[in-house]
Amino acid sequence: MTTVLTRMVARGLLKPTLVVAIALLVKGYADVGDGFAAGLVAALGVLLQYIAFGRERVRRTLPVEHAPALALIGLAVVFAVFAVPVAFGNAPLEHVPAPGVEPVHVGTLELITAVLYDVGIFVLVLGAAITLIDVLVTTRDGQ
Amino acid sequence: MDTTSHGRALGLSAAAAIIVAALALGALIVGWAVGDVALDATWAPSWDLRLSFDLDGLALLYGLLAAGVGVLVFTYASAYVPRHLEHQERSRAEEPRLHAAMVMFLVAMVGLAMAKDLIALFVFWDLTAIASWLLIGYDRQNREARLSALMALLVTTITAVLMLIGILMLRAQYGTVQLDELFARARESTTVTVAVTLIAIAALAKSAQVPFHFWLPRAMAAPTPVSAYLHSAAMVAAGVFLLSRIHPLIALDSTLLDGLIVIGLASMAVGGLLALQADGLKRILAYSTISQYGYVVTMLGVGGTAGAGAACFYVLAHALAKSALFMTAGAVGEATGATALSEVGGLARRMPLLAAGSAACVAAIAALPLTIGFFKDELFFAAALEHSTLLAVLAVGGAGLTFAYLARFWAGIFLTEERGTPEPIERRLVWPVALLGVLVVAGGIVVQPFADLASDAAAVTAATPVDLHPAYHLDTRAENLMALGAYATGALLLGGLRVLLGPLRLFARVGRAIGPERVYGLTIRGLNRLSDQLHDIEVRDLRGRVVAVLVPGAILVALGVIFTPFEGAYRAGAINDADIPLFVTLLVCGVGALAVSVQRRHLPLALSLSGLGFALATAYALIGAPDVTLVAVLIETIFTLLFVGVYALLPREVLRREAALRSSRSRRLRDRTIAIITGFVTMLVVWGALSRPIPQEGMAERHSALVDEAHGKDVVTVILADFRGMDTMVEITVVVVAMLAVALVLRGRLRA
Repeated sequence: MTTVLTRMVARGLLKPTLVVAIALLVKGYADVGDGFAAGLVAALGVLLQYIAFGRERVRRTLPVEHAPALALIGLAVVFAVFAVPVAFGNAPLEHVPAPGVEPVHVGTLELITAVLYDVGIFVLVLGAAITLIDVLVTTRDGQ
Repeated sequence: MDTTSHGRALGLSAAAAIIVAALALGALIVGWAVGDVALDATWAPSWDLRLSFDLDGLALLYGLLAAGVGVLVFTYASAYVPRHLEHQERSRAEEPRLHAAMVMFLVAMVGLAMAKDLIALFVFWDLTAIASWLLIGYDRQNREARLSALMALLVTTITAVLMLIGILMLRAQYGTVQLDELFARARESTTVTVAVTLIAIAALAKSAQVPFHFWLPRAMAAPTPVSAYLHSAAMVAAGVFLLSRIHPLIALDSTLLDGLIVIGLASMAVGGLLALQADGLKRILAYSTISQYGYVVTMLGVGGTAGAGAACFYVLAHALAKSALFMTAGAVGEATGATALSEVGGLARRMPLLAAGSAACVAAIAALPLTIGFFKDELFFAAALEHSTLLAVLAVGGAGLTFAYLARFWAGIFLTEERGTPEPIERRLVWPVALLGVLVVAGGIVVQPFADLASDAAAVTAATPVDLHPAYHLDTRAENLMALGAYATGALLLGGLRVLLGPLRLFARVGRAIGPERVYGLTIRGLNRLSDQLHDIEVRDLRGRVVAVLVPGAILVALGVIFTPFEGAYRAGAINDADIPLFVTLLVCGVGALAVSVQRRHLPLALSLSGLGFALATAYALIGAPDVTLVAVLIETIFTLLFVGVYALLPREVLRREAALRSSRSRRLRDRTIAIITGFVTMLVVWGALSRPIPQEGMAERHSALVDEAHGKDVVTVILADFRGMDTMVEITVVVVAMLAVALVLRGRLRA
């Protein structure tokens, strides 16, 4: 029921969308964007696939059935970043490195636990969004 | 006796529960031997919330009772529950649920006993309430059991909210919820009196004291092991435990102490009189529990070393004996099928071990010599005498009442003419009773270990060292005479029981008709009706739901606007050239909003809505909020795609028919009025907020200044992931919960 053009565009857009999402996530700490926005961008790419191809084909081509697990993994990462400092006697959610300490660089990326926290949010939002989309579409197909 | 038939072997979950209780008992004993076991971990330093636990004398007494009686009751339950399920034709797979809740109760009780921080104490308090709800409502196919469980939960948790208010009042006054610090800082004042009263109300409700006593007899709908545990060593004991724990605060105000004495005496009388006329075996014991904890509350009201010592010793002696009596009632029920006094009789010859064990326990609560119970009354009488003669007289009366109804209970089951032939039952239903019987007799001969345990506990309550030395004295001292007086009163009551039974039954009927239980029922019914009516208004249709949010919201906001100083609150600034793009964008937003409100067909409506959204996103971009713009654009895109996707899947026919529907004239008028008023109030608030001068050094500036320190450059991300990271965590947890809820609801509907 969708046109060839829609399907071509949808297929072509998936990978660029994911790249943009990753870029938003990685640059989030220094530029516009964060884990939440990145998760939404990625979910948008997946939503487009659902609209263009329907649930059955998306389920065959993309691993969307793992989305709920993805959301829970994200939550686990966030909880871990929150709770692990307590085990070392710090306050909850105390990020490493501490203020004034120079973080480790990988290219222009700085490795700090706050970025890991953001990654957790990204994974969670992506998983939750895909789960919801999938469930909504299922309900529609069932009627 | 038959121990293996019907496949009623010891279940795995039952064995696990017994082992946990035994381990807890062992740990407590080791902790006692080692001494000074304490834990103090800070978990929210900025609020000074600590998880501080301390195994002091009071914690040890209640912990040992919960774990020790727990071992025996869990053993009893391992035989009882399979039979219980079999009677009700339920699967044995349901067995672990009961044991799990029992263990949860045990853990909560030990945690409660050891907590030294009022917030932690409150958490364990509510945990015991939840566990009791699970346990009392264990027969969930039985409506009576469900209602009883709900009643126990409501009575104990609503009053627990009062307790939380009391705790927060103390915190506001003294800046701490640590008990030791509170004891050191608190002085007599109205705040303390009100706060402690609120906490005491929760404690009295938990201990089923008048006028909250009505939940306890109803809770007898639970399987017998549950009653044996909750109403001897655990749930009801938690109430008097709390009173003992905060006793130094109660003692600041003598009116509160007098109040405790009055409530305690009233509970003693009401519980005792009702027990004397009741017929159901467990019911008699339930009323007896109300009455016995009335003794304890009275003694806590007397206070001082004598009162505290007597209270702690009383709890110890009573818990041991009472749990055995509940188990006796259950064993008799299993053997003969009888649940009431009028259905049994003359079992002494057929069940000698059970008769002997329960005889010792009855004697203990009735305070006969050669049992630990004799000393509990000796201390009780001494404390009452020290307080006043009136209290001493009332104490003798109460003890006489106890003697009478317990004699009636035991003699009714084991003596009188034989009725019903008992079937053989598992040994595990009998030997816990016998063991407790041996224990109370041992305590009647060598009392000092028990007295030491109670002394250590009382030292915490009275905040001074207490040294109890109960002993037999063969002389005519007051306590001995009072004990004789109590036996005589009891014998008189028994003798005149035939005459008394009529008035007592009338008293019970009147209590049911106009007592607090009736008030509870009426309140619950009224609240239910109110909630149903509100719910009907709210969910009649989609518009109704929107109205249910908008109208109360608008009223609240309008009140806020009215009561906010008006002058200078609504200003219109000048418009510069630089503002023109923003102005135009907002104009587009306005046009979009109007388009949305007049559009009838679905697809144009969705597109107008998203046009409005994108225009707003542009406005954010123009005022320099790129992060907000990004998220707004993304959300708008997703919603537009979802709308369009859903419309594409719906049949054209349905869409066209829906779009042609028109609501009635009055309805349209109502909707428009609500929309206009709500919109107007919202505009007022936004205008007022924007007119406010921007604070020079706001939160935003402080955050921006710290961004470099946090290794970031984008202030919004740093706020989300670092400064306000805890908020973010809670919010995304909500996202996951919402996801699970939506998924479960929609999948469930699919399956149906």
